Amino acid sequence: MNNIVFGKYIPIDSVLHRCDPRAKITALFLILIAIFLPAGWYGFALIGAFLVIGLLIAKLRPGMVLKAFKPMLFMMLFLLVINIFSVKTGDLWFSWKFINIYSDAVLNTLYIVIRLLLMVTLTTLLTATTKPLELTLGLEQLMKPLAKLHVPTHEIAMMISIALRFIPTIIEETERIMNAQKSRGVDFDEGSLKEKISAILSLIVPLFSVAFQRADDLANAMEARGYVPGAERTRYKELIYQGRDHVLRILSLLILAGTIVLAFVL
Amino acid sequence: MAITFKKMNHTYSPDMPYAFHALKDIDLEIEEKKITAIIGHTGSGKSTLVQHLNALLLPSSGEVEVAGFTVTSDKKPKNLKQLRQKVGLVFQFSEYQLFEDTILKDIAFGPKNFGVSEEEAVKRARAALKIVGLDSSFEERSPLDLSGGQKRRVAIAGILAMDPEIIVLDEPTAGLDPHGSREMIKLFHTLNKEQGKTIILISHDNEIVYRYTDNTVIMDHGEVIYSGPTKELFESDELVEKYSLVLPQLLELKSQLQKKGFSLKKHYDDLEALIKDAAKEVKR
Repeated sequence: MNNIVFGKYIPIDSVLHRCDPRAKITALFLILIAIFLPAGWYGFALIGAFLVIGLLIAKLRPGMVLKAFKPMLFMMLFLLVINIFSVKTGDLWFSWKFINIYSDAVLNTLYIVIRLLLMVTLTTLLTATTKPLELTLGLEQLMKPLAKLHVPTHEIAMMISIALRFIPTIIEETERIMNAQKSRGVDFDEGSLKEKISAILSLIVPLFSVAFQRADDLANAMEARGYVPGAERTRYKELIYQGRDHVLRILSLLILAGTIVLAFVL
Repeated sequence: MAITFKKMNHTYSPDMPYAFHALKDIDLEIEEKKITAIIGHTGSGKSTLVQHLNALLLPSSGEVEVAGFTVTSDKKPKNLKQLRQKVGLVFQFSEYQLFEDTILKDIAFGPKNFGVSEEEAVKRARAALKIVGLDSSFEERSPLDLSGGQKRRVAIAGILAMDPEIIVLDEPTAGLDPHGSREMIKLFHTLNKEQGKTIILISHDNEIVYRYTDNTVIMDHGEVIYSGPTKELFESDELVEKYSLVLPQLLELKSQLQKKGFSLKKHYDDLEALIKDAAKEVKR
């Protein structure tokens, strides 16, 4: 369970870790748009260089990103096969019996692979350097204008942060119950269908009962501390933009501008 | 020896920047048919250590020999199920592992997984329920309706019904009232004396450790810093000082009395005997 890399916060210290979550979320959106602009190889190179520098600054190893990307490899291969058989435009690169591979089929797939790789790197960069609670705090602040339209921004952010807060707890709980049931002879990996169902039941039932109990305790604890949904609240940690946040926002804006120029002007 | 650790290490998430070296070069022997306590601060590696005993965790290097099985870093032992049947592990807050609709079924779940027939499993479950001090009126009740202490008893019965040779308990008394924890420990004491089970007990309660265990292992920051007879450990002023142990009542009272000039015997079995001797001195 501890091997899940995608979306996991890596608790080390770097400039990127210390950046304002709002700046990081904004940068994520800008770069995400840039990735989907048809800016060609130069565009990809530009964004790729930016992300690699980001990884270096955040002291994350590229291996981590690749590990997160691994599960998608099969899907990519599948896509390549479908593209080979369906895309019949561009130059004919390879022909053998009924298999004809056209340049566009390969290039299209490559485009998608690169886009996905960039996206995975981008999101990993955000989640690995930002604590889940900071992330929701940032989201809440960014959503604030929507409150004028009667969108319950605070409640949404509270729900997200509670959900995120309890992911590790539930994973821990799952591990503990799995270990306890393994000690009672449950085999989660092998066995007949009937045994598998019994194994899953022995995990799910206690997990649900624990989760409900936790929810109850949390609700009581929140009420005991006077929580009122939607009430005006102050924060212990105020988000204030620093120099580095402006740098991050300006850089990502420049990247977006660059790709727009590459895509539509040149 | 029931259990031997040889130069065993364990590192959590070895490839990550936050890798954690939880156990360092553990060399340890645990005697058969004895009660062994493992004590140490939170995070000292006690729970990690015991999870190697039934191969829930594999060593990063070194090996563990348990009940004729060898657990090493590269692969799980072939007869993993047999090992897990022989080493019954009761986790901290074990009450959360109950899931069947009746208590009897839940206790019989373990033995059935190890290939015991339905009838035999139910028979064992009934016996185990009795051992943990719950009468037959509990058999058909739902485990989720019980109090915390009763749930824990049912969970322990679930392990006992597997008939393991070695029973490992991770803080079995945490969160129980003093009476409940006393009863719980007495139960393990009886199992050890009457059925010859090897018992390993992680505990924070030196009162229990001193009174009921034969040997004690002290862990600190992933290392075993002491392993030897419990009585010797607690009755040596030097060792108590060295490991800054909290003295059990009996020894605390004895040392206080001795400081006041009482002449007392070197060893007392219980508080009562000590108080009697002290009273004699006062009369004199």
